[in-house]
This record gives sequence, C-alpha cells and structure tokens, in this order.
Amino acid sequence: MMLTFVILGLLLSGSLAWYSDDKPFFGVRFQAKWVALVAVIIFSLIFVFSVYLSPLNFQTLQTIAHVSWINSLNINYTLALDHLSITLIMLTLFLALICILVSWDEIQEKSGFYYFNLLATFAGIIGVFSAVDMFLFFFFWEVMLLPMTALIAIWGHEKRYFAAIKFFIFTQVSSLLMLVAIIAMAYIHQQQVGDLSFSYQDWLSLELNNELALYLMLGFFIAFAVKLPSVPFHSWLPDAHTQAPTAGSVLLAGVLLKTGAYGLIRFVIQLFPQASENFAPIAVTLGVVSILYGAKMAFAQTDFKRLVAYSSISHMGFVMLALFSFNEIAYQGVIVTIVAHGLSSAALFSLAGMIYQRIHSRNLTDMGGFWQSAPRMGGFGLAFAAAAFGLPGLANFVGEFLSLVGAYQVFPVMVILAAFGLIGSAIYGMVLFQKTFQGSSLKTVPDLSCRELIVSSSLLMLLVILGLYPNLLLQYFRGVIL
Amino acid sequence: MSTSPEITNSVILSTEMFIALSPILLLSFGIVLSLLLIAWRRSQKMIALFTQFILVITLLLTIHLLSGDILVGSGTQITTLLNVDRFSYLSFVLICISAFVVVSLSRSVLKSEVEVHDEYYLLILLVVLGAGILVVSDHFASLFLGFEVLSISLVGLVGYFREHEHAVETGFKYLILSATASSFMLLGIAFIYSQTGNLSFAVSSNVMPWSAQPLQIFNSVGILLLFSGIAFKLSLAPFHFWSPDIYQGSPTPITLLMATVSKVAMFTVLIKCCFSQNYFNNESFIEIITVVALLSMLVGNILALKQQNIKRLMAYSSIAHFGYLLIVLTVSSLQNTEFAWQGALFYLSAYLLANIAIFTVLLISEKHRDNMSGDRDIHIVDWHGMFWKNRLSAVLVIFSVLALAGIPLTMGFVGKFYLLNQAVIFKSWWLISGLVIGSGIGLAYYLPLIFALFKDEKTLENQVVDGSGVYLVTTGKQLFMFTLLISSLLFGIFPDLVSQFIYR
Repeated sequence: MMLTFVILGLLLSGSLAWYSDDKPFFGVRFQAKWVALVAVIIFSLIFVFSVYLSPLNFQTLQTIAHVSWINSLNINYTLALDHLSITLIMLTLFLALICILVSWDEIQEKSGFYYFNLLATFAGIIGVFSAVDMFLFFFFWEVMLLPMTALIAIWGHEKRYFAAIKFFIFTQVSSLLMLVAIIAMAYIHQQQVGDLSFSYQDWLSLELNNELALYLMLGFFIAFAVKLPSVPFHSWLPDAHTQAPTAGSVLLAGVLLKTGAYGLIRFVIQLFPQASENFAPIAVTLGVVSILYGAKMAFAQTDFKRLVAYSSISHMGFVMLALFSFNEIAYQGVIVTIVAHGLSSAALFSLAGMIYQRIHSRNLTDMGGFWQSAPRMGGFGLAFAAAAFGLPGLANFVGEFLSLVGAYQVFPVMVILAAFGLIGSAIYGMVLFQKTFQGSSLKTVPDLSCRELIVSSSLLMLLVILGLYPNLLLQYFRGVIL
Repeated sequence: MSTSPEITNSVILSTEMFIALSPILLLSFGIVLSLLLIAWRRSQKMIALFTQFILVITLLLTIHLLSGDILVGSGTQITTLLNVDRFSYLSFVLICISAFVVVSLSRSVLKSEVEVHDEYYLLILLVVLGAGILVVSDHFASLFLGFEVLSISLVGLVGYFREHEHAVETGFKYLILSATASSFMLLGIAFIYSQTGNLSFAVSSNVMPWSAQPLQIFNSVGILLLFSGIAFKLSLAPFHFWSPDIYQGSPTPITLLMATVSKVAMFTVLIKCCFSQNYFNNESFIEIITVVALLSMLVGNILALKQQNIKRLMAYSSIAHFGYLLIVLTVSSLQNTEFAWQGALFYLSAYLLANIAIFTVLLISEKHRDNMSGDRDIHIVDWHGMFWKNRLSAVLVIFSVLALAGIPLTMGFVGKFYLLNQAVIFKSWWLISGLVIGSGIGLAYYLPLIFALFKDEKTLENQVVDGSGVYLVTTGKQLFMFTLLISSLLFGIFPDLVSQFIYR
C-alpha cells in the first residue's frame, strides 16, 4: 500500500499546494512551491525507505497492492514493482525535485495550479511505472497526460496551444490503438482461459498465433513508439519541448519519454516475444533512422530547446535499437541510457531555462560568449553537452557503448550506421556549447545562483557517478534475458 | 388490439401491467392535472413547480419499480403495443432527470419574459410523455405514436420565443423536416407490414423474415426508410443537416431537451426494435449501420472543427457521438444484447450528464450576456478566462468536455471503453478505426474549447475589475453544478456503481 500512499499523497499535496498558495496560515504566508518541495522530499524518502526495507525480492515483479475495482469486467487495482520500475520511479522522484527547483522563480503566475499539475503528473507517471492491471495502466497513462498538457498550454511559450494540442492528439490516438489491443487481449484471455482478465501477469501465459500477435503487438508498439518517440511518430516532440515551460521540458524529456521505453520493455517485448522478434528488423531500422535523423536535425536547429529535443529523438533511437536486439548487454545499455538520458536532457533543459530567464530568448543567435560573464554556467554547460554526446566518464557513454556492443552481435550493419550518430552528436553538442558560451560576448549575464548550482551539480554528480561506476545500476539487471 | 392472439384472458390491463406502466400513466395524469391547473389559475411559478413535482414523482416511481423485481427478465408485455423492461425504464430515468433539469433551467429563462408560459411547461411534459411511450413501445404503431407526440410538442418548443431572431426559421425547419422524416418512417412501416403482416417488434420465430428467406426488396426498403426516420431524429450523418441550425435557433433549455430527451428515447427504441426484430442477423443492415456510423463519426467531428458557436459545436459533436453509439447495434447474437444494452445505457448517461453540464453553464453565460445585451449566441471567445473567474463552472465544463472526448477519470471514457469492448468482440474493425480516428479529430476541437477557459487576455482582466466579467451564479445552481461534477467523477472512477444498477 506504500506506493498507493505515495501516488495519492502526491496528488493530495498537489491539491494542498493549489489551495494553500498565497494564503496565510497562522501568520505564515504559504507558498505552493514550498508545499510541493516538502511533499516531494517526504514522499521520495518514504518510497526509498520502504523499498530498501522491503523483504521482497524485486528481481521479478512483486505485487504490492491488489484491490478489486470494476467487478463486472474483472478489473483490479493492481500495482507491482521490480527493479526496472523502481529505477524509473526513483528517476521520476529525483527529477521531480529538479522540476520544482527549476520552476522556483520562473513560475510567478497561477503558481498554485502550476504545482498541482506538476505533482499530478508525477503521480500519474509513478502509476504508469507500477500498474500491472492493463486497464489501470491505461488509466494512469492517460491521466498523466492531462496535467502535462495543462502545463504546456498554460505556462508554455508563444505557440503553446498548438503544441499542447499536437502533443495530446498524438498520444491520445496512439493510446486508443493500445486500448483496442488491450481489450482484444482481455477477450483472448477469456477465450483461452475462460474469464476476462486485464492482468499483465495473466497475459504472459497466453498462446497467440503469429498473425494475431503481430497486430496486437503493433497496437502497443505504436503507442510506445509515439511516446519514445521513434521517427515516423516524432513530430510532436520538438514542438512540445520547445513550447513547454522549463520544468515541462525537463519532465517530458526526463521521464515522459521513458514511459515509452518502459512500455516497450515491459509490454511489447515480454507479452509478444515471438512477434517482436519477427518485427525486430523494422524496429531496429526505425531506431537507426531516429538516431541519424535526430542528430542531423539537431545540428540544423537555431533554437536551444529544439536542438536538445531533436537530440532526445536521437538518443531514444539507441534505446529502440538495443531493445530489439534481444541481448543482455544491450538491455543493460538500455537501462543505463534511459537513466543517463533522463539526467542529461533534464540538465540541458534546465540550462535552457536558466538562460531563458536571463535573456528571454531560446535562440542560439542571441547567445554567445556567456563564458566570460558566467563561467560556472559555462562549465556546467560544457559538462552537460559532453554528457549528451557521450564523453567517456559520463553515464551516457556507458549506455550507448553497451547498447552498441550488445546490438552489434545481432545487427552489425545497423550498429555501424548507428555509430555515425555518435559523430553527429559530437557535432551538435559542440555547436550548442560554442554558440552559447563561446564567441564574442553579446550580453553579460549573471552567473548561477545558489539554487541553480544545486540543480546543476546534483545532476552532474549523478552523471559522473553512473559514468564511473555503472555497476551501481547494472547490478540489478544482471542475467535478465529478454 | 384485443383481437391479438397473445392476449387470451379478457382483462386487457391486469394489475401487474398497471403497476409496470404506472410511471407513464402517472405522467399522463399529471399532464391532465396541469391542464386543469392552468384552467384554474395561470401562474408561472405554480405551473413550473407542479411540472417539476410531476417529473420528480415519475422519476421516483420509475426508480422504485427498477429496484423492485417486477421488471426482471424479458419485462412485462402490456397488450401488443408496449413492453416494459429494465432497459426501457433505465433510459426513462435518464429522460426524466434531463427533463427535470430542463424545467429547472427554463424557469430562469422564462422569468425575463412578460407572458405566462403555461404551454411551455405543458409541452415539455408532452415531450417526456412521447419519449416515455417510445422507450416502452414494442410495436410500430406505438413507436409512431410516441414519435409524433415527441416531435409535435418539440416543434412548439423550438420556436417558442417567437420574437427571437431565428425562432420562426427554426420552428419551420424543424416542423417540415420532422414531418418528412415521420412520413418516410410511416412508409417504411407500411412496407414492412406488407411483407411480414405484423406490426409488432417481437416477431414470432416462424414469420421471422431474416434468417428464413432472402430479404425481399420491399422489406429492405421498408427497414431502410424506418431507419432513416429514426436517423433523422438522432441526426446521424446523411440526415444531420438540420441539427446545427436548430440547436442554434432554439432556446437553450430546449436545445438541451432535444439533445438529450429526444435522442435518448429515439436511440432506446432503435435498439429495442433492432434487437427484437433480429436485424443484426441481416448483413446488409449491419453494413448500412456501419456506413452511417462511420459517416456520422467523420462528418460530425470534421464539421465541428471550425465551429466557434458553442451550440453548433455541441450539435456536431452529438452527431459524432451517436455515430459511436451505433456500434452497439452490431451485436452478433441475442446473448450479447445484455452487454450491448449496458454499454449503450452507460454511454447515454455519460453523454447526458456531459450535455446537461455544458448547457447549464451555457445558459448561465447566456443570462449574463443578456444582462449586458448584445448578440445572444455564445461563442468560444466568450468563455475565455472562465477558469480564473468562475472556477466551478469552468471545472464542470472541463470535465464534461473531457467526458465527451473520452478521457479517463470521466464517465465518457468508461462509455467508450464499453463500446470498444463491444466492437472488439464482434471484430468490427472498420468501426474501431472510425472510433479511433473520430476521437482523434474530436480532440482537435474539444481541447481548444478547454484551453479557451484558461486563456487570459488583457481585455478580460479589465472586465474583472469592473465586476462585469464575473457571472452571478445562484447558490442553487452552484449546488446543482457541484452535484453534477461529483457524480460524473464518481461514476467515472467507479463505473460499477452504475453498471450494477443496470445489471442487477
């Protein structure tokens, strides 16, 4: 029940933040950001300790809550955890702190409602990472969208409505396909076993013929490929990222894209092993195309956030490539890439936010020479750009390296092509850094404040730790055979 | 009817039948009483209260019957004309609720006019009576009777405020088109009768024309004409042209009446007719349904995209919703009708609640607009910034629009979930694709509507300073809106509360 407590707690403290914003209690004027910050810290601690102290072995899925919900359709409220979901939930909670810290000064208007939406999104994402009843999963999958869309549409930049609608329609239509597949699976379960079931664990034992499995898999695959995003479904991402407020971009890149990767790992590959193996060549091609296309497009951007957004597409291509190689090393690469990209893209978007607050522009042509006036910001900028193009010693390198090594055993040609993406990432990484921090100084900007230092250094620290000692993460994912 | 072979005993209406039919009898009695009331004293307040009273009593009686066990199984047959079962009374409950809301909302609209509006309330009661006859009908004659009572009273209501700009146009349009539709339907019924020799829905198996012999031309034309008559009322795709104009031109409570009472009743009778006539065994009928459903989903959603007038937008969105609902007609066998009914009723209740909510807020802003004078129609622009000024109304609108879009946490999602279940069971992939695409297009106008509530423009901020930007919402209305909000959330998260009631 601990997880339910965390989800509900986040939601309720969000409401509290909304309600109490700017209202005096006992002579103290409450501020939504403090409520949100304290809530996230408390619930993160609760989660970490309860997982740490739990006697369960999270190597396999452990059901930790099971309550019946809609009896007539045999739908239950079931939550389960394993190392994959725990890792992702921890990432989510950590980035939640980052999100609150980066919006600390940025959000001045309607801040109560803002923090409500932010916390509601986290609650929904944690639900997505832990739900194993598919109806419940879908429920959370959609519920996390609503506050996220609100974040983009209310606090975003100039073209925010368009971006929010595009984001919502892409995910909604694709997830309806998934819903159809979910319902079909439930009825297949009814045909084979005798009762309707939406439980993921029940579905693992279903026998599907190849053609049917392919269609059902595609239903899930498209939904997750849109979220990931993979190339033909990516076009919502640059808009959404660019128009979202800083915390929104951090959230999108850091966690929301990971729900797509999580879905691919948990549902597509495990529910339809045969079908995904047959589908692997196409998926891997999509992955490689995403890597190259993302890198190429990133290089051509003049908008800081848009550049980082395209680089996300490129990085998520590695996830897709490695996942569909069905190889243990590649799988470990996927896990590291997911976490590392979560941290590094969050870092770059926070940086974009910090710069935007100073010069009110995201355009690279308005930037340049910031190193002189803000050397600390420049240092972090260099480190984060280096992380994005996979400098050894930082976590992204480990992830990409493992992914490529693992996948090479299965798809050598594809991996060689994908490796060109690394060159591309070095180019766009350097372009990003140079245009922002080097060159003639156009403006003088104040250096990082204490709060911004905390944000940047905590992100960098994690990147370095994971880069130097990836075993911290990998020890939980040994011997996982897909 | 006494010559009908089913009724062998000399009593036409036994006590049991009387009890089963009592809500409708009570309603008719109430109509007579309100006529007498008018003759006795003409008072706006009194007739309104009395109408509400009748509706509440009818509603309570229906719910009482539903919670008893008089309606279990295939229902009570009352002569050949009527058949009362759980499903028909469940939709009658929906009808009564919505009519009650309409009457309550009308009070504030009619207050501003000078005359005494007895006829208005009487006509609303007649509409409800027509709807009641429709939902319990089991015979083409009673179907036609209900249809006409409903339509003719609606014509009166549609053009009720004759001094309004579009009133005469709207009334005439509705009168002529509705009459055309009913004459088509009558012709269809005649064709069907010419082949089967039977006007009752419940065809005994030896004269069932569908499975036994190939479909004769008259029969299929008959069914087609009948369906087109009903499709007109439901404003399904090729017969939808009237609906935006009439939605826009009618007084807002009447638009709500048309969007809910009339459509719920027509859809219920359509399901009843199709299921008991076994139309679903007939492939070409299913094909027609599929085509009409797909057309409605696409046409409704696409035409709604550019609408700025909220009433017109609701008209188009309702076209799409009844397109989705047609999915329940594609059942494959009689065993699945239970599930189909459940899905249809759930979807209808979600649709009803969402419509009631949106039209309530629409009416409030219309009243507000009236005080400020000017154009009567409410456009999306008029709702800008509502979230920051009228939290409750805005949240209500948001939830209702999300329900219409079928997003979780709302009833609309569960309704859509039922429809998808149904479509997956019967492998109607075309309808599924239509639903998915339609919902995708739908979002492109539902979301801007929601975003409009958050838009915060400088001009509007000035209005807040004047105090004129804030709507005056009475406590009663606030309470009502709060109830709507809570119930739609509650039923959306715990759909079992409703489906248990439907299943039992």
